[in-house]
Amino acid sequence: MKPAPFDYAAPRSLDEALGLLGEDAKALAGGQSLVPLLNFRLARPELLVDINGLSELAGLERNDGLLRIGALTRQSALERSELVAAGWPLLTQAVRFVGHPQIRSRGTVGGSVAHADPAAELPVALAALDARFTAQSPRGRRTVGAGEFFIGPLTTALEPDELLVEIEVPAPYDRAGSAFVEHARTHGDFAIAGAAAVVARGEHAAIALMGAGPAPLRAPAAERALVEGAEPEEAAALAASAVEEGHRRALIAELVRSAIEEAAP
Amino acid sequence: MPPARASEVGSPAGGGLGLVGRPLRRREDERVLSGRSEFLDDLDPPGLVHLAFVRSPFAHARVLSLRPPESAPGLLAVLTARDLERRARPLPIQTPEGAEVADEPHPLLAPGEVRYAGQPVAAVVAESRALAEDAAELVEVEYEELDPVADPAASDLALLRWRQTSGDVDGAFASAAVVAGGRYAMPRLVAAPIETRGALASHDPARGVLTLWCSAQDTHRPLRHLAHVLDLPAERLRIVIPDVGGAFGSKGSLAPEAAVAAIAATDLGRPVKWAEDRFENFVASYQGRGMEAEVELALDADGRMLAVRARIRADLGAYLLPATAIPPHTAAMLMAGCYTIPAADVEVTGVRTNKVPTGPYRGAGRPEAAYFLERAVDDAARALAIDPVELRRRNLIASFPHRSPLGWTYDSGDYRRCLDLALELAGPRPPSEGGRLVGSGVAMYVERAGGSFEAARATLEPDGRVVIRSSTSPHGQGHDTTFAQIAADRLHVDPADVVLEFGDSALVPGGTGTFGGRSLAMGGSAVVRAVDELRERCAQAAARLLGATEGEITWSDGGLSAGDGRTLGLGDVAAAGPLEASARFESGLVFGSGAYAAVVEIERATGRLTVRQLVAVDDAGTIVNPLLAEGQVLGGVVQGLGECLAEEATYDDQAQPTSVSFADYSLLTAAEIPPVAAAFVESPSPLNPLGAKGIGEGGTIGTPAAVANALADALGGRHVDPPFTEAKLWRAIHG
Amino acid sequence: MRIAVRVNGELHEGEVEPRTLLSDFIRHDVGLTGTKVGCEHGVCGACTVQLDGEPVRSCLMLAVQANGRSLRTIEGLAIDGEHPLQRAFHERHALQCGFCTAGFLMSLEPFVREHAEPSEAEIREALAGNLCRCTGYRGMVEAVGQAARELGDG
Repeated sequence: MKPAPFDYAAPRSLDEALGLLGEDAKALAGGQSLVPLLNFRLARPELLVDINGLSELAGLERNDGLLRIGALTRQSALERSELVAAGWPLLTQAVRFVGHPQIRSRGTVGGSVAHADPAAELPVALAALDARFTAQSPRGRRTVGAGEFFIGPLTTALEPDELLVEIEVPAPYDRAGSAFVEHARTHGDFAIAGAAAVVARGEHAAIALMGAGPAPLRAPAAERALVEGAEPEEAAALAASAVEEGHRRALIAELVRSAIEEAAP
Repeated sequence: MPPARASEVGSPAGGGLGLVGRPLRRREDERVLSGRSEFLDDLDPPGLVHLAFVRSPFAHARVLSLRPPESAPGLLAVLTARDLERRARPLPIQTPEGAEVADEPHPLLAPGEVRYAGQPVAAVVAESRALAEDAAELVEVEYEELDPVADPAASDLALLRWRQTSGDVDGAFASAAVVAGGRYAMPRLVAAPIETRGALASHDPARGVLTLWCSAQDTHRPLRHLAHVLDLPAERLRIVIPDVGGAFGSKGSLAPEAAVAAIAATDLGRPVKWAEDRFENFVASYQGRGMEAEVELALDADGRMLAVRARIRADLGAYLLPATAIPPHTAAMLMAGCYTIPAADVEVTGVRTNKVPTGPYRGAGRPEAAYFLERAVDDAARALAIDPVELRRRNLIASFPHRSPLGWTYDSGDYRRCLDLALELAGPRPPSEGGRLVGSGVAMYVERAGGSFEAARATLEPDGRVVIRSSTSPHGQGHDTTFAQIAADRLHVDPADVVLEFGDSALVPGGTGTFGGRSLAMGGSAVVRAVDELRERCAQAAARLLGATEGEITWSDGGLSAGDGRTLGLGDVAAAGPLEASARFESGLVFGSGAYAAVVEIERATGRLTVRQLVAVDDAGTIVNPLLAEGQVLGGVVQGLGECLAEEATYDDQAQPTSVSFADYSLLTAAEIPPVAAAFVESPSPLNPLGAKGIGEGGTIGTPAAVANALADALGGRHVDPPFTEAKLWRAIHG
Repeated sequence: MRIAVRVNGELHEGEVEPRTLLSDFIRHDVGLTGTKVGCEHGVCGACTVQLDGEPVRSCLMLAVQANGRSLRTIEGLAIDGEHPLQRAFHERHALQCGFCTAGFLMSLEPFVREHAEPSEAEIREALAGNLCRCTGYRGMVEAVGQAARELGDG
């Protein structure tokens, strides 16, 4: 399975890169999602814009309590970051489920987010943390929340000429614990369903679901219930109630319950 | 007959080195570990060009027109069915004994009609694989879509029919105290070796020889098939097998694409390589299993089995490839299993659908038979309120040879011992608690292996080494080590002084093939015969050299001795002139067996299945190398578990394959494997000098049946077919 | 496009198309065929090599992306004689057909370097990034434990 032919550019500045992106020109970051599509000839861009040289787009830093994740940050760097583990442990927990170490050594945080596979962990974890996503194009820069950013399977709000450059994650609620759980057929396989939870019982709750809909879904009713003191099982049932199919609903309820229990035992 | 210890059996009178039965490590490993292995796609001869295929996007369609591009970068040739019209025949069809098969062979390239999505329609040769794929996209094909048949129940044509009735079946059912059974199904599977298929063809016009390097299980079937397809005598063909990255049955028959490569190489005068990619392997490599059966057992009030009735339907796909008809026939022949059932009525129908054809996949009919029968036995136990183990004990065959009502004669076995040992290793069944349903189950199996013939040629070289050319071909099983063990044992030499040559039709003798766990029983026995004859020649030569009579010569670690203590090493004997011996070994089928046990746990809330434990007791007769034999069992068990937990080749209602990558079709990783306890019982076969049967496939035969029985136990008798996905189990529990 | 890649310490130059996969560059341009190709979509792991010391799927990288970088393949695993992983794989019968072996070894090498006494669960997780269809993995689990302990002691 060899890719269809394409031209290749490795811009050295963000402006240069932005000038190249468009309908027939795709950004190549980690390649862990894009290259399989190229190999299957399911993606056939005329131009591949290799952004791996834009080192200014990689990096993790804390700024006024906000975590700024450069889009080009490798998933393995996120995994190893002590800064992230200390302040945003949900991300550390979630990234461990992404594929395998060999995938994470190349895959980027921004790449996973921009690809928006419905079974991807990072979009769900970021949605639970109220992350905001910054895109840049020759027309300027804009920042949107997860609800607006993730539209459907493999579909985000990014225009063809836009590049995701940064993700900012507010500090989670101080006393909340977090957990990420998922079910996959085999280790590292695409998950069937999953749940991210950031919970301090009776005080704060953020719950995001993977596999409950076309995009990462928050569960506001369940979140409210937990703040009002509901038991994990009750909140989980609320979170899953939107899912029509019996087994999937039961599965998600179970995953949410176990995520809540793990986050806030 | 009590099982003999391996080191007693298989050594010549007068004792050997005792190598047989020892867990020698493999000498094949070093090359692989250092990166010096050579698989098909590693071959890069000068002038090499590459083959890609235009494949049908539809499951059923007429090909109205086909227009290759005028030109394309690197494009060298385009071949269609029209170009092959008078040059090639479709692949031959093997007809199992007593069966009726339709005349529906697989053409090389689709003539006016395509019958499965992925079927090769045209072949494109270019300077690189990428350029060949580019050019393939430029071939314009006009299709007229026809209605596809995806459901075997809606099939319009039987491709295979076989029926066997023996004993008073109707009478048994009429007088039975209980009739029990059910409907059981195993879906299609993909063999999915990590190395895909491939072939590299090169034509030498000066010598008139076409050489085909082939990622294949043996040289014999590709040779036979290619000779048939191209209507060439075998002397004009040479098949060479490089290192092979697994096959599991899927590289037995010659692939139509490989035959096309041979034709293209002849036309272009350049070596042509077809390196199948993973997508092609998913859509166009023949699939396994795909059978369902209605099974009924008639039993008396004491639980004695009186008769078995089975109707098996196999979803064979669009054509009969050479071995498509074999697994369903095998499944049917084994429907009396390990039990003394006196009467049987078994019918198998293989139906045509618009899918890629099926063929042998590890177990090839035996896993299906074990699954169908063993589930029925458990369902019968439930109906009779008898413990399923006890029900089996009351019916196990205990005396051999045993002739099954379906026609095969089982040579030896100790089914009771297998069952007892499996239960001992399994231990007590843990209780269900809280949110988890626990179940335990056992399954027995009997399987056929060996048969037909294999050959070997053993030569004593001037430097004292022994070179053995064997008709079987390894593809991971370690034959190089095991055959060397056998030979060295009989010749009193170091295995390092025994060289094995396999896999080149110009060098090795003709044989039947490597499949169905036959290599040790048949290939190993041919080696034994050849080596024993070589021994005699050596003894004769030694006698001459020592001025003794042949009867005075004895073998020892130093070599051959005359009665007075003078000894000649094999090197000394060889120096007097090379010696050679050939042997052909032929035998009837041998029958391995086993008992498997499983403990499973289902999480009520989600339907998630965990296999807590698996026990595998296999009786493959004499075990020559326990390290390698156990490796075969463990590998087979994991494939069997894959079938239970995750694997299924799926199609939509338009017969479009929907498992087309490893993202859709999940193979188990090391993290999914439960504790497996494996043990051997050894009931040597009287049918060959090693007493060996076959160990290559037991793991896939026993595992699904045992896990399925454990699952049914956990579900209080409710039946679920594999794969046992969360969704299915959840629905079985929650209705 | 002209690229220069250091492979097992040796500089290799080549002319590639943008679409040439790193796996194909290593195997056919550099001529090191010890690295195998099993799926070309990043799941089986047979193509795993090390890029600047980190295991990566070479079927998911373009050759041009390795320009100026340093790769290690199976042929470069053993620096002096035999790596403990190679020996352990042999001793524990952790390979049968051998097609997946190089990918496993290149994935496992950092793991055994970094873990002196891994648990079985940790080992199985480390193995989970590569697929084997032949062995059932048990020999590999034992081999990894052995190699890790040996390196831990050394």
